[in-house]
Amino acid sequence: MDGISLRVARGTIFGLLGPNGAGKTTFVKMLLSSVRPTAGSALIFGRDARDPEARRPIGYLPENHRFPTYFTGAGMLDFYAALSGMEAAQRRKLIPEMLDLVGLDRWGSVRIGKYSKGMLQRLGLAQALIHSPTMLILDEPTDGVDPVGRRQIRDVLTRCEEQGVTIFINSHLLAEVETFCREVAIVNKGKVALSGKMHDLTAGKGYRLTVAEAPEAVVDDLRAKATSMAMRNGFVDFQFATRQSVNEAVDLLRAQHCEIEALAPTTSTLEDVFVRTVAQ
Amino acid sequence: MTYSPAATVALIRDTFREAFARKIFWGLFGLSTLMILFFLFLLRIDLVEGGLAAVSLFGRTAGTTDVDRVVRGVYGGIATFLYTWGMFLAVFASAGLIPSVLEPGRIELLLSKPVSRTHILLGRYVGNVLVVSCNIVYLVLGVWIILGVKTGIWSPMFLVSIATTIFIFAVLLSVVIFVGVLFESAALSTMIAVGLMIMSPILAQTSTMLRLLSSEWSRQVWRTLYYSLPKVYDLGKMTLDAIQSRTFNGYMPIWTSAVFGAVVLTGALLIFARRDF
Repeated sequence: MDGISLRVARGTIFGLLGPNGAGKTTFVKMLLSSVRPTAGSALIFGRDARDPEARRPIGYLPENHRFPTYFTGAGMLDFYAALSGMEAAQRRKLIPEMLDLVGLDRWGSVRIGKYSKGMLQRLGLAQALIHSPTMLILDEPTDGVDPVGRRQIRDVLTRCEEQGVTIFINSHLLAEVETFCREVAIVNKGKVALSGKMHDLTAGKGYRLTVAEAPEAVVDDLRAKATSMAMRNGFVDFQFATRQSVNEAVDLLRAQHCEIEALAPTTSTLEDVFVRTVAQ
Repeated sequence: MTYSPAATVALIRDTFREAFARKIFWGLFGLSTLMILFFLFLLRIDLVEGGLAAVSLFGRTAGTTDVDRVVRGVYGGIATFLYTWGMFLAVFASAGLIPSVLEPGRIELLLSKPVSRTHILLGRYVGNVLVVSCNIVYLVLGVWIILGVKTGIWSPMFLVSIATTIFIFAVLLSVVIFVGVLFESAALSTMIAVGLMIMSPILAQTSTMLRLLSSEWSRQVWRTLYYSLPKVYDLGKMTLDAIQSRTFNGYMPIWTSAVFGAVVLTGALLIFARRDF
């Protein structure tokens, strides 16, 4: 990690992307205090992440989780809910509801050693949700889940979003992130290489104009003409829908003696954006 | 920070669940049950005029002897078993319980909960001590009741072995936890804890060794090792002396072992608190 700074708005679904080894999981572990940063700090809802109380409003589903196989589904939920500080009566009431929510209502008394990968993933999601967190951190939540299970997870997350839960998803599955997330950040080599709203980053076909430095007034003018804008590695990317609008933008920049870094036609799926960002 | 009793109970219950999921703990209980059944059904003691007994084993009379001596002999044998094989088996059974918690994919989830790392490790430690304590109480109390009913002799000093055995296990478990947190190796944890058990009777020969060692430097090393390491042998001997109603010299083995356990456990907690997972 090298000076990562991210701000995630409350109630949004935020996706953190990056190639293998980019530092996504390390970043999440720093938030949850599994890994201590050598410098800097992490705050969760304004509280130092090292303080265990800061983790109370968080539900977490780790990547490659290893739930002890001696638990039954209900037993596992009971254990992690108790660690979250829930009282026994509350746990007894919520466990069947959570199992029902993730479609495992008939599996509560079965040892999780007999669960499939997808079932474990859904049980992990129930574990993350049981104490009604205000923020969910999910590391590869649909990994190994079949399409029906994925839909189920997506429905659960949509419901959480409607209830105002902030959801932070760490994933390789770009199509999933594109479907789920409202905002994304792409991490590469330990830094935030690109961040912005999903609809801005995947604005569709058109022209991408990359500007090195420009006065704020010019940036505001260009933002008004552009379909989207994103900050990337110290540059500003503007997306224009038509040839005419991009030409007007170039005229404006040249009139103000601003440096143009690049101008290229684009087709933007999140995968395009990701590959382009990581390749740079 | 808010302390959560529900979290403490959950951590202890989790240790019990995992301990029983490991067949070796059932082995410990099975062994204790076998010993209790042995005293219940196979050992027959006939009292003659209150003070003498005929001892029968597998239906064959082994001879007459003083019943009090027989009972104290049995208590001593069980206490010796607990301090040697029992302790070895308990350490062996417990050694995997720390590395298993530190496995990737499991520890991250535990650490994401609003529970401090100290709380997590101490919960595991206390849970482990309680699991082994249940076994010790089951065996000692079982044998004590059976022999008490059969002979009418209720020697409360035998029950002291419950406290001393649990105490020395708690000290050795601090070593198991320290090595487990540092190296995540059950085998190494067992080796070091058992190594300390084996060294204990050797180091306990202090008065002889201090006469035999030629240099002051080597005598000082011996003294340092003896006083700083846990005294499994001395504690076992103290327990036997208590059972046999003999006197023992001071409580030094108890408090020096307690200091050792406290220091090692504190070290384990500090390492665990600073580690990245």
